[in-house]
Amino acid sequence: MTLETRTVSTNTPHKRTFGTRLKASFKEHRFAYGLILPTLLFMMMVHMIPVVQGIWMSLLKLNQFTLGEYLKAPFVGLKNYSDLLFNENNPVRQGLGYALRNTAIYTVVVTAAVMMIGLFVAILLNREFPGRGFARAAMLLPWVVPSYVVGILWGFMWQKEGIINHILVDVLHLMDEKPYWLIGPNTIWAIIIPSVWRSWPFIMIVFLSGLQTIPEDLYEASRIDGAGKVRQFWSITLPLLKPIIAVQLLFQLISNVYSYNIVAMMFGNGAGYPGQWGDLLMTALQRQTFGYWSFGAGAAASFLLMIGMLVIVGIWYRIFRSELRAE
Amino acid sequence: MSYRMGARMKKKASYYVLNIITWFIVAIMVFPIYWMVKISLHTNGEILDGITGFTIPKPHWVNYIDMWDNINFSDFFLNSLIICSLTMVLACAFAVMAGYALARFKFPGSGTFGMGVIATQMIPGIMFLLPIYLMFLSIKETIGIPMIDTYWGMVLVYTAFYTPMSIWIMRSFFVAIPRDLEESAMIDGCTRFQAFVKVILPLSMPGIIATCVYIFLTAWDELLFAWVLTTTPDVQTIPVGIRLFVGQYNNRYDLLMSAATVVTVPIIVTFFLTQKYFIRGMTAGAVKG
Repeated sequence: MTLETRTVSTNTPHKRTFGTRLKASFKEHRFAYGLILPTLLFMMMVHMIPVVQGIWMSLLKLNQFTLGEYLKAPFVGLKNYSDLLFNENNPVRQGLGYALRNTAIYTVVVTAAVMMIGLFVAILLNREFPGRGFARAAMLLPWVVPSYVVGILWGFMWQKEGIINHILVDVLHLMDEKPYWLIGPNTIWAIIIPSVWRSWPFIMIVFLSGLQTIPEDLYEASRIDGAGKVRQFWSITLPLLKPIIAVQLLFQLISNVYSYNIVAMMFGNGAGYPGQWGDLLMTALQRQTFGYWSFGAGAAASFLLMIGMLVIVGIWYRIFRSELRAE
Repeated sequence: MSYRMGARMKKKASYYVLNIITWFIVAIMVFPIYWMVKISLHTNGEILDGITGFTIPKPHWVNYIDMWDNINFSDFFLNSLIICSLTMVLACAFAVMAGYALARFKFPGSGTFGMGVIATQMIPGIMFLLPIYLMFLSIKETIGIPMIDTYWGMVLVYTAFYTPMSIWIMRSFFVAIPRDLEESAMIDGCTRFQAFVKVILPLSMPGIIATCVYIFLTAWDELLFAWVLTTTPDVQTIPVGIRLFVGQYNNRYDLLMSAATVVTVPIIVTFFLTQKYFIRGMTAGAVKG
């Protein structure tokens, strides 16, 4: 095997011959296919087959009575979809509007805050000062805390007589009266703030290592040309970080739209309803589908959610296409 | 002091201001974790009365023993450890293989495979939660192998979940290793496989460690699937255990916070032991895309 790969043309550039030789050799392909085979099998079992089944299920009348028949449950076509979109009495639909609104607010605010704080602190840490390594490690701590712990912990701290109200009202005197955080419109902040708290450190670390790849000469040269710090940020730092920003933005969008753990653990002792301002799509869908045993409708809602995700990714791709191509 | 500060003083002032901001942020970040540990050391009576002091007056260590006995914590802990470790080994092995394939070979379908791996991340978990559940049930009915409430069922699902991201982390590591290394190893008589195992794998150890930590941390954190696919304490993981516990012991925040501390501390320790590799590994993947 090694012999044949070694003897083919040597007059073209080194790197390319290696690639072309690999391409030419069927045995090499077999090696590559062997390498991806286990992944492919697992993805087939856990991702592809279930998703196809899920799409099929969304066309069936699948509830507690027909669950035993599973894929042979009565076919109802697009009824689940039309019920979901237009039938106000559909139980699965209940509260989904709130969940959708909250998820939209949550995703936009968390993503924006995480990216901005991450970048700001990365710039703060990209300087020399005593205790820098310690500061960086300490800031990363929340990111390692499991998200279900984050939900419980912040749920406890948000209580009316909890520590946050104590600090806000008794220590800092920012408010006259202790507000309710876990009931009413404040809830959306009660879920956004812990999520931001947990997510930005990782983004910060990624940005920090991105900042360290920017050559110091660039800043030097622009300083000589008379550019200030602000100007340098907009014309050097930001454009050079754009590919990193693009990738992190996508991952943030996906994980925030599909956020589940923090909200699931924060309210009603892990089993309750987070309220009109705390419910997210994932918690709502999980609760409604399993609560009402309406799996067909749940599958339809999940499929619509996936389409929505594809639209978001599509928009993201159009905006950042040029950054990705440069890679 | 004159109105116009010297440039030097101005620079020094901004240096200190920025330092103060930095340490203020550190304090905000660490405080909730400190609070969790602090609450876990109070009696329930104290917690119900409302706690406002910022120091720990008299540590009430008994909470930890009570918690451990009350909720069979060792069972959940062991289950999590087994499921997460097996997942880590399997998913990392798969990711190393597939990541290497994506980094080095252009084979028919390699582009599609790479995109497919990314695309799995866009599917909402709930989309395949129920099909997997029903598939597991029907596997038991038709073939007789139980899948719900088993370690391998969970490991199968988790491995498939965490392999895709891991593949991209590993791929970016392999891309950074020069091809010449394998080539010269092959000229020295190694097969392609030997070159991969003897030359490339040792060099990508930081990436492998980073990937392992990533997989372990994310699996340790998974709640939704564990919640649906396990029903007995023989296989239930810590997040499920804690969620059940929260339902049962409504107001026992003393026990709850000690459980939360016990869950968090091991990963914080693991994280700091592997921090060097981990940060390098994760950021290499993220920066190079």
